[in-house]
Amino acid sequence: MRSFFRNRLLAAGVILFIVICLLSIFQPVIVRALIGNINPMAQGKFPIFDPPSSQHLLGTDRFGRDVVSLLLIGLRFSLSIGIMAGVIGTLLGTVVGLIAGFYGGIVDSILRSSTDMILVIPTLPLLITLSAYIKRLDVVTMAILLSIFSWPFAARTIRAQVLSLRERAYIDLAQTSGLNKMEIVFQEIMPNLLPFLGVGLAASTVGAILAEFGLEVLGLGPGNVSTLGLMINWAISWGVLTLGKGIIVAAPAVVLVLLFLSLNFINIGLEQAFNPRLKGTTGL
Amino acid sequence: MRRRVWLRFFLRRLVTYIITIFGSFTVAFLFFHLIPGDPIGALMASLQQQYGGHNTASAEMIAAYRVTFGLDQPLPVQYVHYITNVFFHLDLGPSLISFPTHSQDLIVRALPWTIGLLGMAVIISWTLGLLLGGLLGWRRNFPGAQFLTTAAIGLAQIPQYIVAIILVFLFAYFLGWLPSRDAYPANVAPGLTIEFFTGVIRHGILPALSIVIVAVSGWILSTRSLIVTILGEDYLLYAQAKGLPRRNIFLHYALRNALLPQLTGLAISLGFIVNGALLVETLFNYPGLGTLLVKAVGILDYNTIQGIVLISIISVLTANFLLDLALPLVDPRIRIGD
Repeated sequence: MRSFFRNRLLAAGVILFIVICLLSIFQPVIVRALIGNINPMAQGKFPIFDPPSSQHLLGTDRFGRDVVSLLLIGLRFSLSIGIMAGVIGTLLGTVVGLIAGFYGGIVDSILRSSTDMILVIPTLPLLITLSAYIKRLDVVTMAILLSIFSWPFAARTIRAQVLSLRERAYIDLAQTSGLNKMEIVFQEIMPNLLPFLGVGLAASTVGAILAEFGLEVLGLGPGNVSTLGLMINWAISWGVLTLGKGIIVAAPAVVLVLLFLSLNFINIGLEQAFNPRLKGTTGL
Repeated sequence: MRRRVWLRFFLRRLVTYIITIFGSFTVAFLFFHLIPGDPIGALMASLQQQYGGHNTASAEMIAAYRVTFGLDQPLPVQYVHYITNVFFHLDLGPSLISFPTHSQDLIVRALPWTIGLLGMAVIISWTLGLLLGGLLGWRRNFPGAQFLTTAAIGLAQIPQYIVAIILVFLFAYFLGWLPSRDAYPANVAPGLTIEFFTGVIRHGILPALSIVIVAVSGWILSTRSLIVTILGEDYLLYAQAKGLPRRNIFLHYALRNALLPQLTGLAISLGFIVNGALLVETLFNYPGLGTLLVKAVGILDYNTIQGIVLISIISVLTANFLLDLALPLVDPRIRIGD
C-alpha cells in the first residue's frame, strides 16, 4: 500500500476520484441543501440567467435552473454510465483475452481476428445511429451499448500479458503438480493480471465517458435528465458565448476535464507503479 | 530466393487484409440492418415536414421508394446486392439527405475537407510531438521538463471538443480574430483564388488547433517514454565516448530509434482521420465527413452512414497493410522469414 501511494500521480488521481465519487453519491442531499425541496430539473423556479451569487454559486440557466445542481446530477450520471460500461467492457475483454492467450492455437486465431475486426469499426457513427433510433435510453442500456465496442482494447492487453505469463516457470510447476487449466487461470494467472485490469478499467471508463460525452453533445442520449455533455449542448444552442454567459458552458467542461484527469492519473500512475520497466525512469 | 519469401509474405498479408475488410464490414452491415428502424418512413416524415405536411405519402410512393433502396428484398439478397454494387460499380446507392444524389458523390465532396483538415493536424502534431517529446526525454532533468510532462499527461485525454469550445470563446468571441464557423467565407466563391485560399486557412486554424493541442500531447508522452528507455543503452555511451556532439547523438542515435515505433503510430492515426474529428467538425460546421455523418444520422440515411463507415474501415486497414509491407524495408531488424 505504501508503494501504491509513493507514486504522486496515482495518489492525486485516486484522491480526486474519491472526491468526485463522494459528490455523485451524495448528490441528492447536496442538491436539497443548496436549493431546498425543488425539483432541480423543473423550469422557471428561479429567474433566468442569474449571475453567480451566494444563493446560486454558478448562477442559473435559460430555464431558471440552478447550474450547480444540474452539474451534480450530470456528474453522477456520467460517472455511473462510465463505470458501468468500463466494468462490463473490461470483464468481457478479460474473459476473451484470458481464453485467447491461455488456450492459444486456433481458439486464439479466431478470437484475435474477430477482436481486430471490431477494433477497426468506427464506434461513434454506430453509437450515434443506435441512440438516434432508441429514443429513450436509460443508464443501463447506454452502458451496455458503450461496452459493446470497448471490450476489444481490454482483450488485447490481457491476451498479451497472458501470453508472457504462460511461459513463466511457476506455471510449469503448477501444471506438473496437477492443477487443471481453470485452476491455473484463476489461481496463478489472474492475480498477476490485477494491475493490468486496473489500467484496463480506468482506460475503458475514460473511453466510455468520452463516447457518452460525444453522444450527449450532439443532443442524443437520455433526454429527461441533465448530463454534462447535454449541458454543453444546451449552452451552445442558447448561444451563451455571445450572451457573455460563458460560465454555463465552462462549468460542465471543467467538471468533465477534472473527471478525465483523475482517471488518467490513475491509469498512468498504475502503469508506472507496476511496470518495472518504467520504474525509476519516468522521474514523476 | 528473397524475392519468393517477400512475395509469400505479401500475399499472406493481402489475404488477411481483404478478409478483415469483409469481416468488419459485414459486422457493421448486420448492425445497421438489424436495428428495426424504418428509413423510408423517416424520409417520408422529414419530406412532409419540409414541404408543408398536408400531402400524406401514398402507399405506392412508399413502395416505389422501397424498391429504389432495395429494402423490399430479404437481408442476404440486400447484402450481396450491396457488396457487388459497392466493390464492382463503386456505387453506394442513393442517399436520403439529398435524394437523387448518390451517397458516394456526397462523400467524395466531403472527403477533401476532412483529409485536408485532419491530415494537416495529424502531421503537424506528430512532427511537433516527436521533437518536443524527444527533447523532454533527453533533457528530463531540465527545470521545466517535469512540469511540461505533467501538463501533457493532463492534456492528452481531454476531449478535443472542449478544447475547441475554449478556443472559439477566446479567439472568435472574446478577441474576434478568427471565424468560428464554416470552412471558407460565405461571400467568397470556391475557386483557385488567393482570397479563397486565405479564407480556407483562416477558417481552418481553430478546428485544426483544437485537434493539434490534444494530439500533440499524446505524441509527446509516447516519444518521451521511448527516449527514456533508450537512454541507458550502451551505444549512446559509446557515441559519447567517441566525442560526438550531444546534438548529433540526440538526433541520429536516440531520436532515430524512437522514429520507427512512432511511424507505426502515425500510419494508424492517418488511417483513423476519416472518422476522426466528428464532434469538432460539427461544432465548426465544417463540411467534412463528420458533419455529413451527423446529418445522415439525423434522418437515418443508411446508405450514407454505411458508406462513411466502410470508407473509414478501409482506410484504417489500408494504412495498417501498407505499414506491414513497408516496415521490413525501413527497419533492417524486422525479418519476414516466419
